[in-house]
This record gives sequence, structure tokens and C-alpha cells, in this order.
Amino acid sequence: MKRRDFLKNSGLASTALFVPSFVQAYGATGVIPSHKKIVILQLSGGNDGLNTLVPYTNDIYFKNRNTIARNKKDVLVINDSHGFHESLTDFKSLYDAGFVSVINNVGYPNPSRSHFRSTDIWHTASGSGEYLQTGWVGRYLAEVSKKPLGAIEVDDTLSLLMKGGSINGLATKDASLFYKTTKDAYFGKILDKYTASHLSEHNLGYLYKTVVDAKSSAAQIYEKTRVYSSSQEYPNNAFGKQLKTIFEFINSGLETQVYYASLGGFDTHANQLNSQKRLLEVYSKGIAAFVKDLKRTGAFKDTIILTFSEFGRRLKQNAAKGTDHGAANMVFLLGENLKHPGMYNKPDDLVNLDSNGDLLYEVDFRNIYASLIKEWLETEPSSILSGKFKTLGLV
Amino acid sequence: MSLTTKDSILKSTHIKHLYQRAGFGISPKKLEKLSGLKKKEVVKQLFKSSKSITHLYIPTPDIDAFIQTDTPKSNPKKFRELIKVSRSKLKDYNLAWIDKMATSNEELRERMTLFWANHFVVRTNNIVFSQRYNATLRKYALGNFRDFVIAIAKEPAMLSYLNNQQNRKDKPNENFVRELMELFTLGIGPYTEKDIKESARAFTGWGHTFKGEFVLRKKQHDFGEKEFFGVKGNFNGEDIIDLILKRPECAQFIAKKIYLHFVNDVPNEDRIGELAIVFRENYSIDAVMRYLFMTNWFYDEDMIGQKIKSPIDLLVQLKRTIPFSFKKPKEFLYIQRLLGQVLLEPPNVAGWSEGKNWIDSNTMMVRLKLPSVLFMNGTIAFDVKGEFEDSFEDFNKKKSNFNRRLTVTKNWEVFHENYGHLNYEELYHYLISTTTNKGTQEFLHSLKKTNKQEFCVQLMSLPEYQLC
Repeated sequence: MKRRDFLKNSGLASTALFVPSFVQAYGATGVIPSHKKIVILQLSGGNDGLNTLVPYTNDIYFKNRNTIARNKKDVLVINDSHGFHESLTDFKSLYDAGFVSVINNVGYPNPSRSHFRSTDIWHTASGSGEYLQTGWVGRYLAEVSKKPLGAIEVDDTLSLLMKGGSINGLATKDASLFYKTTKDAYFGKILDKYTASHLSEHNLGYLYKTVVDAKSSAAQIYEKTRVYSSSQEYPNNAFGKQLKTIFEFINSGLETQVYYASLGGFDTHANQLNSQKRLLEVYSKGIAAFVKDLKRTGAFKDTIILTFSEFGRRLKQNAAKGTDHGAANMVFLLGENLKHPGMYNKPDDLVNLDSNGDLLYEVDFRNIYASLIKEWLETEPSSILSGKFKTLGLV
Repeated sequence: MSLTTKDSILKSTHIKHLYQRAGFGISPKKLEKLSGLKKKEVVKQLFKSSKSITHLYIPTPDIDAFIQTDTPKSNPKKFRELIKVSRSKLKDYNLAWIDKMATSNEELRERMTLFWANHFVVRTNNIVFSQRYNATLRKYALGNFRDFVIAIAKEPAMLSYLNNQQNRKDKPNENFVRELMELFTLGIGPYTEKDIKESARAFTGWGHTFKGEFVLRKKQHDFGEKEFFGVKGNFNGEDIIDLILKRPECAQFIAKKIYLHFVNDVPNEDRIGELAIVFRENYSIDAVMRYLFMTNWFYDEDMIGQKIKSPIDLLVQLKRTIPFSFKKPKEFLYIQRLLGQVLLEPPNVAGWSEGKNWIDSNTMMVRLKLPSVLFMNGTIAFDVKGEFEDSFEDFNKKKSNFNRRLTVTKNWEVFHENYGHLNYEELYHYLISTTTNKGTQEFLHSLKKTNKQEFCVQLMSLPEYQLC
């Protein structure tokens, strides 16, 4: 299916879907072009980038943040102008070791300041005025992996990111629970009686095929992961558990290439200092445990971790000691094979802002996607992204 | 486009089909009442029962009192408090709306209201705006499309959602007109960027008050000449809407949306063209829907039982068959989230994408499990994402992972009253619209049928039940 048609028709019937034998469609191992993994983490709610990587010598920063600015003594200095938030100790160690690329001022034209819309835009890799029904990972599934197991969201509902129109990823954060759900005796009976002729029926065939896929994927995940459990200590919180699950999935040899999880709570409109401090600590400690685990088993060299937020926050703080929705923000890439460890580009000097007083974007986020698709997943980005986006030589 | 069968008697499978699509299913009693009637008569009755308009309001005394006497500036603390109240009221409103769909006799009007809510899409945290908006959707659901578009353009929920509040003479904001044309009336294509720029000027100064009333801010309105679709004039917003509705693409665009929603996921250009001709005559929604339900092709064999129910459709139909309610109303919202459609929380201005887009491995498993969870005390992996606005603790509180049993009160008496007299075969035909897979049929035959409640839940747990 051509990408163009696919973008147009997503949601409508796709003849390619109804292969004569559904058994083959999920039973045979698909061709996986690469064993590389991408772990996508969303700091949901809009992380305040300016207090994450603090411009501790910038007057404009201090002028706009009279009660929530961080001073040099508060931050983990990385150069003569910037320092990481004090909670990012472990993260900074990874940075110092050359495992982190910080891409600054990432965004897109006409930025949306709605959580929902901007998350949509990041998930679908659309333009600001464009509404796509599929996510970029979903399209990768439909084009390359050709099966739901190609991408797992560590959650119980599936985000748009993972939906590919003809093929969608899976959401699970508990392999045995997911397996048990699909193992219901009643479903088993119904599927036993299921005949391939059913597939000729437009929507009903699709429903049956989805159940069959769910059942087989759940069984595969369960069978592969049940024998292994990580002995590494992860922070005892939801994010730590999600990362541990991802590690166990990766380590069990699942063919899944893309994982997605989100860490919520970053919508810091009020009393930001405390909440962001806690959140970044959760992030930093979780990531450190995860990377340590991946390194231990040798999987780190095949893994890239992408961290983004749907938007950054406004330079000027509000009256409630918080910050409001902004625009451009930084993206973190973690891995062993980074072409630009450290700062990929310079953080904004805060002189030129948009009419809302928000950071302007310098790097379109879709250029980052294009790079990961091309340089890491070895796939032509134009088959996944709508529009042409040059690669940045990141990995 | 013959209407030759309008005087013929409508078969009961066809009456069921009509009520599946134009309403939320039909009870045996009602079907019996309509059986033997001519098609024209059945359709007439469908419209007759939706002639009245019963609005849906829930009490919001604190908020009402505040907006009469205060503003966010005069009492910011109370205002912040009420924002929270408003958000929680919206959850009550969600449930009240579902209740209404499950119980109302104005079935077509309710179905159309739900349809338009996914056409003129808004999302708001303001319960006052939301209720007002819902009333406008319900009022015009079968009315005149021109009046409808104008009313929508003046709704505070829309004005704020698409930033027309910030559309000022000296600094036009194009967000509203862009969606007005792309999503609400014409579809992508029949206009230029210049048309957008010029028409945005016509809507400058259209705003709303804190209380939620439309206001034209004359100082911010651009009274100057605009050139739109090649015509020059000192157009205002209404003029622009009239010029848009003059384009043939508009009727075509709406007709297609109606076809895809009410008839089939696969567009049929000839039939869409038929609908568009009828619609364009005077943009009467009533007329085009009447025409649709009178066509022969609406009742074609391969149209019946072919559409995937939306999550809300599914829940409303379940509720109509076996009335149920949750001890904790929040749980009902979680169920909606797991199914991928929370009423009043559309993903973006383009709305929910329907059909196969409702289905992935996870939503499908939830759909199949749902009847036993609701009616047989089954368990469900019951975790949902927290919300953007949640604090870290709240976000994660919602994430404790275990199989939860929901506390559901179900009214089996109503079920027995309505369905008790049916035999198993008849019950099957009531609940399943599509032709069932042969293997599944055999399996159903093999089931010990000793309990009608159980059999009903088994039927509802079939992939076939997802279709209407």
C-alpha cells in the first residue's frame, strides 16, 4: 500500500488486510530488518525545560522567574552557562559518560498549547493544522513490522502513536494479566470454531482477526517473558515498574522494536518547584536503573531512548509559582551510539521569543523522527512520515 | 432513486436495522407495534417521536451563583475552586447524557445529537458552556443546517475552543474559519489561503462573555471590505457562512459524512450524490434524513449489521437491553476510556475517527469482556492513564494494576419484562444483526440453554455483537 493512499484511507477498508489465510498472518515470523529497539518516553503534561536545563547566567531567565529561578548553586553545572536540575544526578552521570544527546529548541510551526492536540501532533508526526488518524510508530508497524507485536505501549490503553490503521500495536504492562484476559475459555471456544471464510466479511473479519492477533501476541509475550525477571533494583514507583517491564520484554528476546511509556504530572501550573523536583528525580533514577540493566545484558548498544514532552513551558512564570503551557522544548536521546553526545545544539538565549513569550523552535521534531527511522531503524522515512524531513545524523 | 417501496410493508429485520442506525436499537414491544406498517408510516413515526426537544441540564447552583455576581478577577480563589467543581460536573454530565440516550423516546434526535457532537467538535472544561452547547446540538439536530452553523459559530464553547475569542481586527486568528471550512462545511480543498485570511476578518470581534453569552465586540470587528470566493463585500460572519453554503461541495461533504455514519464505512458516490441533491435544496437535515431512511438501498442486505458500534453506541445499547448503573460513577468513565471514547472528551477538533479505528487488540478484548464484567460480576484489567492535569500522585494512583471487580447494579427485571417472552432463537436475532459465522452458530447451538440471562451475556460477548 502506498503511503499516500494509506494516509488518505486510514480508517477505511484495506484490501491488503484480508490475506486469505489469517493463520499465516500471525503464525509466521515476519521479517525484522533490524534488531534495534527504540524506547519512547513522554514526560506528560509539558515538562519545564528551562528549569530542567537551567541557564544559570542568563538575566532574562532570572527576570522572568523571580520566585522559581534556580541559581548556579542549585544546579549540576555542565558548562559555564548551563546546569541540569539538581534532581538529575544520575542522569548527569550518563550525560558525562557520553550517553546523552540534548537536542534543544525542538518543536514545530504554529505550536498548539493544548495537551491533547500537541500530544496528537507529536504522536502522529503531523503538522499543526493536519489531522492524521495514525501514529508514526503505527505506520512503521503497518509498513515494516506488519504485526501488532512490533510495538508495545506499557499501559492498558493504546495511544494514537501506536495505531497504524491496518495494524495497531499492543498495550500491556502486565504480560500474565494480558494473557489471562485473552485466554478466556469462552473466546477460545469461539475462535476454535472460527473459519477463514469469515475474513471475506468486511468488518466482522477484521474483528475476528483482531481477537486472534491479540490472543497470539499475548501468548507470545507471556511465554517469552515468564521465565525471566530482572534482579536489578528499580525505583518503587509506576515509572520504575514500566521501565522494568520494558527491560524484561527486551531481554526476553521479543521481536518488539518500539516501546512507549509515559510519565505524568508535568503540568506544573502551581508550586512547580516541589513537584518538578520529585518528578525529575523519578525520571533520573528510573532511567539510570534501566540503562544499568541494559548495559549488564549487552542490550544497551541496540537501544535508543527518546524522551520528549508535548510542549515546553512559558519563560515567564505565573503568579501561582508555576509556569503555563509553552512551545519549543528539549528532547533527550540516550544510547551508546550517539553521533552528538552532549549538546546537539545550543540552548536558546531567550532573546527572541514568539508573540506568546514562548521559545521558538529551531529543530522540527519530525527531523528527529526521520533520523531515528533512517539511521537507527534503517527504513526510508518517507514511507512513514508525511512530507520530507531531512535526517540530522543523530545515531 | 426510486421510492417505489414506500408503500410496502417494512420487514421486521428492516425496522430493526432502521432503529439500530437511527436510534440505539429497538425493544420487542416497539417492534411489535411497528410490525405490519408501511415503510412510510414507520419512518413517519420515527420522526414524530423526535419532534419534541427535551434538553439535558444538571444542577450547578454554585457556579450559577458565582457567574451572576462575580468574575475570575473579583474572586480568584473561589474561581479556582469552581474550575474543579466544573470538571467534576462534566463527569456527571457525561453520565447523564448516556442515561438520556439509553432512556429517551426521542431516539432519532438523540442519535443525531451524538452525530453532530462528533461533527461540530468542541472540548471544554466549562460545564456552563458545555450544557449550552449540548442544547444547541439537540435543538438543531434535525433543523436547518445554515441556522445550525451560525448558532454553533456563536457558541462560547466553540469560540473558546477554536480561539475566536482572540480573533481581533488588528490581529486576526484563523483557527476557527480554517476548521469551519475544512471540518464543518466543505472539506479540504475548495478554498485558498487567501479565502481563509479574508474570512477570518469577518469573524473578528465574535466572542463570548464570562457568563457564556455571545457578544460582538464592535471595536475588535473589522467592518472593512473582504474578498471571499472571488466576491467582494463588507462581509460579516453570517455572510461568510452563506457564501460557504452556496458551494456545492458543502452539501456533498455533509452528505458523505451522513452516509459513512448512518449507512456504510465504504463510500458510494452515487448515493452520496443523491443525498447531497436533497440536502442542498434548503439544507434541511430533517429532509435529508427522511430521504435516506426512505431509500431502498438503506435496507440492502449487505448494509445490515455491517457497521462497528462506537463505544458509546455499544454502552447505550447494552444499557437499553439491561439497564445498569455503577456504584461509583467514575468507574463508568474508566470503562469509556478503556473502550477508547469518553463522551465530552474528543481527541481533537476532527473528532473520533470511527469504524475500524475503534478497534485494536486492547479495546477489542475489553469489548468482549465487558458484558460479563457488567452483568456477571466478571473482572477486568482496569487501569487507565491519568490525565494531563493530574499531579504525579494522582496520575499514578490510577495505575495500580490489578483485576478489579466493578460494583454494578443491573436491572434484570426490565430485561425479563422486555425479552422474557422470546425463545432463545428469537433472542439471538434480537441482539445480533449480522450473519454469524457458521462455526460460531454451531457453537451457540451446542450451548446448554438453561438460563436466558446467561445466554444474553454470551451473545453480547460475541464479536458479532460489535456490529450494527
